[in-house]
Amino acid sequence: MSGAAQHEIEQAYAHPFGAQIDRAALSQRLDAAGGWEAKSRLLVQLARELPGLPEQEKNDTNRVSGCESTVWLITRWQDGRLQVAADSDSRVIKGLLTLLLTAYHNRSADEIQRFDIEAWLASLGLVRFLSASRGNGIRAIATRIIEASRQPAG
Amino acid sequence: MSLNPLVLRADFPLFDHYPDLVYLDNAATTQKPRQVLDAERHFYETANANVHRSSYRLSGLATDAFEGARNTVARFLNAGSADEIIFTRGATEAINLVANSWGSANLKPGDEILVSGYEHHANIVPWQLIAAQTGAIVRAIPVFPDGTLDRTSFLSQLQPQVKLVAITHASNAIGTHLPVLELAAAAHVAGARVLIDGAQAVAHENVDVQALGADFYVFSGHKVYGPTGIGVLYGKAELLADMPPWQGGGDMIDKVSFAGTTFAAPPGRFEAGTPPIAQAVGLAAALDWLSKLDRAALKQHEAHLCALLDAGLRKIPGVRVLGATTERAPLRSLIFDNAHPYDVAQFLDGRDIAVRVGKHCAEPLLDALGVNGTLRVSFAAYNTTADVERFLQALAETLEELA
Repeated sequence: MSGAAQHEIEQAYAHPFGAQIDRAALSQRLDAAGGWEAKSRLLVQLARELPGLPEQEKNDTNRVSGCESTVWLITRWQDGRLQVAADSDSRVIKGLLTLLLTAYHNRSADEIQRFDIEAWLASLGLVRFLSASRGNGIRAIATRIIEASRQPAG
Repeated sequence: MSLNPLVLRADFPLFDHYPDLVYLDNAATTQKPRQVLDAERHFYETANANVHRSSYRLSGLATDAFEGARNTVARFLNAGSADEIIFTRGATEAINLVANSWGSANLKPGDEILVSGYEHHANIVPWQLIAAQTGAIVRAIPVFPDGTLDRTSFLSQLQPQVKLVAITHASNAIGTHLPVLELAAAAHVAGARVLIDGAQAVAHENVDVQALGADFYVFSGHKVYGPTGIGVLYGKAELLADMPPWQGGGDMIDKVSFAGTTFAAPPGRFEAGTPPIAQAVGLAAALDWLSKLDRAALKQHEAHLCALLDAGLRKIPGVRVLGATTERAPLRSLIFDNAHPYDVAQFLDGRDIAVRVGKHCAEPLLDALGVNGTLRVSFAAYNTTADVERFLQALAETLEELA
């Protein structure tokens, strides 16, 4: 891999979700957004804060296929913690990805497997996204991250 | 006679529960009029028994209701006889039935099945599956990037090895009407059979399978104000007569023994097991409901909604309508310069406006048009000009918000 490409990947993993922005901070922002439209608006806003993936990482290997939108997901181990970065062509979905990253990025396998993402999303009033879409719904992406956490580090 | 959508709307109890809903996903499924719900309930309350058992009167009532529904469907499609109507679970199962039954008996290695590039996956994949089993080849009739059909390619591909042409009456993804009459006539001259997928047509067009020259015509009940779980295969009597059964079971046999089994005549041969009886009754009620409307006025009403929508869309920057130069069913497929269809749909949902986004199970078509997904608006009889106005305003504001 070229130095420039490696740099881009480092940048993708250097997103603030699960790092500077934690679950409590996100919960607060979502709680403040009353109503469906306000939540959608906030998700679009959150998407702007996620740098996304470099073009070469938006490939078929990293693609979580779906009918309504496309999601790309990459993971790697770093010092016993799973690092997660993701992107989508849809801004609402990309906003939802920031929630998944906040829950899972930079965590140990144990923390990832124990976290109840559905309960958290339900508490944020986003339960409808759990039932949405075949293939690359939020559930499918969470499952993919949890599977990655079961692969041996390194 | 004009048609008052507000009066029609009163027939649909779902709107009592969601008075503010702007339902624009009718190409996926329509809402159900009270007449359909009542017919199913009435059947269960007054005539429920299994069909085709003549030993008691109640079963006779059930059989009369079920076979009466078959007659209603035959009239609706102008079939030559009710025996040409086979009840299936839906259009998908109807196509699978033809592919498996007619296909296995009539396709051999090197034969070709011509499938239009507009097709829903339900009119592609069954052909691929039977082609893999028989050694036949599936070929596409290409679609130009502007959504028009490549007629020249169709005609040049229409060689003697083509045994079947599978075409949709109207595209579910972009609405485009195929010139089915012309294509079917050309196919017949070349000696091929024609299957027409009418899923997007029956709720909007007067369909006459004999005038169309269809060898097979399929549709789903739930897209024409009827119940889910029921669909129709029309097949020409002489073709059905020679087709082997697809599924085995009760009700489809003449005589069964371990030495060998002989099969019932169509349509029974293709309806193994207890059929969807109440659903057939519900479907007949839906077709009766629709047939009582002034169909010309209904068509005019839906065209008027489309014209209003088209005019409004032209005023909103950054919107492209797919297949815009083609004659279309009352649906419009949109893409946006600066917004993802899914995101737009989420904001519309926030305002109680239901639309469909995605590839609409028509990936080859979307590839041909060079798009990843669209936002589809599709109308039914109960949609109003107010629905269109609310959609247009919400869309304009959403696109501004997402810009």
